[in-house]
Amino acid sequence: MMFDTTTITNVLTVMLLLIGAFFMLAGTIGFVRFPDFYSRMHATGKCDTLGEGLMLVALIIYGGVTFVSVKILFLIAFILLANPTSTHAIAKAAYDVGLEPWRKLDEEVVWLNTGNGDTDNTDNTSNTGEGRTMEDGGEVR
Amino acid sequence: MAGTELFGIEMVDIFLAMAITIVIASFVSLYRGIEGPGIFNRIIAVNVIGTKTIVLLVLIGFIYERPDFFDIALLYAILNFIMTIAATRY
Repeated sequence: MMFDTTTITNVLTVMLLLIGAFFMLAGTIGFVRFPDFYSRMHATGKCDTLGEGLMLVALIIYGGVTFVSVKILFLIAFILLANPTSTHAIAKAAYDVGLEPWRKLDEEVVWLNTGNGDTDNTDNTSNTGEGRTMEDGGEVR
Repeated sequence: MAGTELFGIEMVDIFLAMAITIVIASFVSLYRGIEGPGIFNRIIAVNVIGTKTIVLLVLIGFIYERPDFFDIALLYAILNFIMTIAATRY
Protein backbone atom coordinates (compact mmCIF):
# COMPACT_ATOMS: atom_id res chain seq x y z
CA MET A 1 0.00 0.00 0.00
CA MET A 2 2.84 2.32 0.70
CA PHE A 3 4.66 1.79 -2.57
CA ASP A 4 1.85 1.50 -5.04
CA THR A 5 2.09 2.64 -8.62
CA THR A 6 0.83 6.15 -7.99
CA THR A 7 3.46 6.88 -5.37
CA ILE A 8 6.25 5.56 -7.56
CA THR A 9 5.01 7.63 -10.50
CA ASN A 10 4.80 10.77 -8.40
CA VAL A 11 8.25 10.28 -6.87
CA LEU A 12 9.78 9.73 -10.31
CA THR A 13 7.99 12.82 -11.63
CA VAL A 14 9.21 15.02 -8.79
CA MET A 15 12.79 13.74 -9.08
CA LEU A 16 12.93 14.39 -12.83
CA LEU A 17 11.34 17.83 -12.33
CA LEU A 18 13.93 18.76 -9.71
CA ILE A 19 16.84 17.56 -11.88
CA GLY A 20 15.46 19.49 -14.85
CA ALA A 21 15.01 22.65 -12.77
CA PHE A 22 18.59 22.28 -11.50
CA PHE A 23 19.92 22.08 -15.06
CA MET A 24 17.88 25.08 -16.15
CA LEU A 25 19.05 27.17 -13.20
CA ALA A 26 22.67 26.13 -13.83
CA GLY A 27 22.35 27.12 -17.48
CA THR A 28 20.87 30.47 -16.47
CA ILE A 29 23.68 31.17 -13.99
CA GLY A 30 26.23 30.27 -16.67
CA PHE A 31 24.41 32.50 -19.14
CA VAL A 32 24.70 35.47 -16.81
CA ARG A 33 28.15 34.87 -15.37
CA PHE A 34 30.34 33.66 -18.24
CA PRO A 35 32.67 36.21 -19.79
CA ASP A 36 32.13 35.61 -23.50
CA PHE A 37 29.36 35.15 -26.02
CA TYR A 38 30.55 31.69 -27.05
CA SER A 39 30.90 30.43 -23.51
CA ARG A 40 27.46 31.79 -22.66
CA MET A 41 26.10 29.84 -25.60
CA HIS A 42 28.02 26.80 -24.37
CA ALA A 43 26.20 27.13 -21.05
CA THR A 44 22.70 27.64 -22.39
CA GLY A 45 22.71 25.43 -25.46
CA LYS A 46 23.20 22.19 -23.58
CA CYS A 47 21.78 22.87 -20.13
CA ASP A 48 18.47 24.24 -21.38
CA THR A 49 17.95 21.40 -23.83
CA LEU A 50 18.62 18.76 -21.20
CA GLY A 51 16.59 20.52 -18.51
CA GLU A 52 13.55 20.97 -20.71
CA GLY A 53 13.80 17.39 -21.95
CA LEU A 54 13.89 16.08 -18.39
CA MET A 55 10.96 18.24 -17.26
CA LEU A 56 8.83 17.19 -20.21
CA VAL A 57 9.72 13.52 -19.64
CA ALA A 58 8.60 13.99 -16.04
CA LEU A 59 5.27 15.39 -17.23
CA ILE A 60 4.85 12.46 -19.64
CA ILE A 61 5.39 10.04 -16.75
CA TYR A 62 2.86 11.97 -14.67
CA GLY A 63 0.26 12.12 -17.40
CA GLY A 64 0.39 8.50 -18.47
CA VAL A 65 -0.02 7.18 -21.97
CA THR A 66 -2.68 9.35 -23.54
CA PHE A 67 -3.03 11.51 -26.59
CA VAL A 68 -1.59 14.41 -24.61
CA SER A 69 1.64 12.53 -23.84
CA VAL A 70 2.13 11.83 -27.55
CA LYS A 71 1.89 15.57 -28.13
CA ILE A 72 4.52 16.24 -25.47
CA LEU A 73 6.69 13.52 -27.04
CA PHE A 74 6.52 15.40 -30.35
CA LEU A 75 7.44 18.54 -28.42
CA ILE A 76 10.51 16.83 -26.92
CA ALA A 77 11.58 15.54 -30.32
CA PHE A 78 11.22 18.99 -31.84
CA ILE A 79 13.17 20.64 -29.01
CA LEU A 80 15.99 18.08 -29.30
CA LEU A 81 16.11 18.83 -33.02
CA ALA A 82 15.63 22.58 -33.05
CA ASN A 83 17.54 23.83 -30.02
CA PRO A 84 21.04 22.61 -31.07
CA THR A 85 20.29 23.75 -34.61
CA SER A 86 19.45 27.28 -33.52
CA THR A 87 22.49 27.35 -31.23
CA HIS A 88 24.71 26.30 -34.12
CA ALA A 89 23.11 28.92 -36.37
CA ILE A 90 23.71 31.71 -33.85
CA ALA A 91 27.31 30.64 -33.26
CA LYS A 92 28.03 30.41 -36.97
CA ALA A 93 26.48 33.83 -37.59
CA ALA A 94 28.61 35.33 -34.80
CA TYR A 95 31.75 33.66 -36.17
CA ASP A 96 31.02 34.88 -39.68
CA VAL A 97 30.53 38.42 -38.43
CA GLY A 98 33.99 38.21 -36.88
CA LEU A 99 33.45 37.95 -33.15
CA GLU A 100 36.60 36.56 -31.61
CA PRO A 101 36.56 34.09 -28.72
CA TRP A 102 37.55 35.29 -25.28
CA ARG A 103 41.07 34.52 -24.07
CA LYS A 104 42.39 34.55 -20.55
CA LEU A 105 45.50 36.49 -21.55
CA ASP A 106 43.59 39.46 -22.91
CA GLU A 107 41.62 39.77 -19.71
CA GLU A 108 44.76 39.73 -17.57
CA VAL A 109 46.38 42.35 -19.77
CA VAL A 110 43.32 44.53 -19.41
CA TRP A 111 43.42 44.13 -15.67
CA LEU A 112 47.06 45.12 -15.55
CA ASN A 113 46.48 48.13 -17.78
CA THR A 114 43.34 49.56 -16.27
CA GLY A 115 44.09 48.68 -12.68
CA ASN A 116 40.57 47.56 -11.77
CA GLY A 117 38.91 44.22 -12.30
CA ASP A 118 36.37 45.23 -14.88
CA THR A 119 34.89 41.89 -15.78
CA ASP A 120 32.14 43.30 -17.93
CA ASN A 121 34.62 43.30 -20.80
CA THR A 122 33.22 46.26 -22.69
CA ASP A 123 36.20 48.59 -23.03
CA ASN A 124 39.26 46.50 -23.72
CA THR A 125 39.54 47.00 -27.45
CA SER A 126 41.53 50.17 -27.13
CA ASN A 127 43.77 48.61 -24.51
CA THR A 128 44.83 45.32 -26.06
CA GLY A 129 44.75 46.28 -29.72
CA GLU A 130 46.26 43.28 -31.47
CA GLY A 131 44.36 40.15 -32.21
CA ARG A 132 41.09 41.95 -32.95
CA THR A 133 39.66 41.97 -36.42
CA MET A 134 36.55 43.99 -35.74
CA GLU A 135 36.72 47.69 -35.14
CA ASP A 136 34.17 47.46 -32.35
CA GLY A 137 34.83 43.94 -31.15
CA GLY A 138 34.60 44.82 -27.51
CA GLU A 139 31.16 46.29 -27.90
CA VAL A 140 29.68 43.36 -29.78
CA ARG A 141 31.10 40.86 -27.32
CA MET B 1 -3.90 11.58 -14.86
CA ALA B 2 -1.94 9.85 -12.12
CA GLY B 3 -2.41 10.56 -8.44
CA THR B 4 -2.71 14.06 -7.24
CA GLU B 5 -0.94 13.83 -3.89
CA LEU B 6 2.54 12.85 -2.73
CA PHE B 7 3.34 12.63 1.00
CA GLY B 8 0.70 15.22 1.81
CA ILE B 9 1.85 17.66 -0.87
CA GLU B 10 -0.39 18.28 -3.83
CA MET B 11 1.30 17.62 -7.16
CA VAL B 12 -0.27 20.81 -8.50
CA ASP B 13 1.68 22.78 -5.90
CA ILE B 14 4.91 21.11 -7.00
CA PHE B 15 4.13 22.05 -10.60
CA LEU B 16 3.39 25.59 -9.47
CA ALA B 17 6.75 25.78 -7.66
CA MET B 18 8.53 24.56 -10.82
CA ALA B 19 6.66 27.18 -12.87
CA ILE B 20 7.75 29.92 -10.46
CA THR B 21 11.35 28.65 -10.69
CA ILE B 22 11.21 28.85 -14.47
CA VAL B 23 9.81 32.39 -14.30
CA ILE B 24 12.65 33.46 -11.98
CA ALA B 25 15.20 31.89 -14.35
CA SER B 26 13.58 33.76 -17.24
CA PHE B 27 13.91 37.07 -15.43
CA VAL B 28 17.57 36.34 -14.66
CA SER B 29 18.08 35.62 -18.36
CA LEU B 30 16.28 38.86 -19.20
CA TYR B 31 19.09 40.72 -17.42
CA ARG B 32 21.53 39.47 -20.04
CA GLY B 33 19.05 40.34 -22.76
CA ILE B 34 18.83 43.94 -21.59
CA GLU B 35 22.33 44.53 -20.34
CA GLY B 36 24.41 42.17 -22.45
CA PRO B 37 26.65 43.85 -25.01
CA GLY B 38 25.85 43.28 -28.63
CA ILE B 39 23.07 41.86 -30.74
CA PHE B 40 24.02 38.18 -30.39
CA ASN B 41 23.61 38.12 -26.62
CA ARG B 42 20.14 39.55 -27.09
CA ILE B 43 19.26 36.98 -29.76
CA ILE B 44 20.33 34.09 -27.56
CA ALA B 45 18.53 35.63 -24.57
CA VAL B 46 15.32 35.69 -26.59
CA ASN B 47 15.96 32.08 -27.62
CA VAL B 48 16.55 30.97 -24.03
CA ILE B 49 13.47 32.76 -22.70
CA GLY B 50 11.38 31.29 -25.51
CA THR B 51 12.49 27.75 -24.78
CA LYS B 52 11.78 28.28 -21.08
CA THR B 53 8.33 29.52 -22.00
CA ILE B 54 7.57 26.21 -23.77
CA VAL B 55 8.04 24.24 -20.55
CA LEU B 56 6.11 26.93 -18.67
CA LEU B 57 3.15 26.52 -21.03
CA VAL B 58 3.16 22.74 -20.59
CA LEU B 59 3.29 23.16 -16.81
CA ILE B 60 0.36 25.59 -16.93
CA GLY B 61 -1.54 23.05 -19.00
CA PHE B 62 -0.98 20.45 -16.29
CA ILE B 63 -1.80 22.82 -13.44
CA TYR B 64 -5.15 23.93 -14.84
CA GLU B 65 -5.77 20.57 -16.58
CA ARG B 66 -6.41 22.16 -19.92
CA PRO B 67 -4.83 20.26 -22.83
CA ASP B 68 -5.15 23.26 -25.15
CA PHE B 69 -1.90 24.64 -23.84
CA PHE B 70 0.16 21.82 -25.38
CA ASP B 71 -0.86 22.89 -28.87
CA ILE B 72 0.14 26.44 -27.96
CA ALA B 73 3.48 25.17 -26.65
CA LEU B 74 4.16 23.22 -29.86
CA LEU B 75 3.30 26.25 -31.96
CA TYR B 76 5.49 28.45 -29.77
CA ALA B 77 8.43 26.05 -30.21
CA ILE B 78 8.11 26.19 -33.99
CA LEU B 79 7.78 29.99 -33.98
CA ASN B 80 10.80 30.36 -31.68
CA PHE B 81 12.94 28.16 -33.94
CA ILE B 82 11.90 30.00 -37.11
CA MET B 83 12.46 33.37 -35.44
CA THR B 84 15.97 32.42 -34.35
CA ILE B 85 16.93 31.09 -37.78
CA ALA B 86 15.54 34.21 -39.48
CA ALA B 87 17.34 36.50 -37.04
CA THR B 88 20.66 34.78 -37.67
CA ARG B 89 20.17 34.81 -41.45
CA TYR B 90 19.24 38.53 -41.44
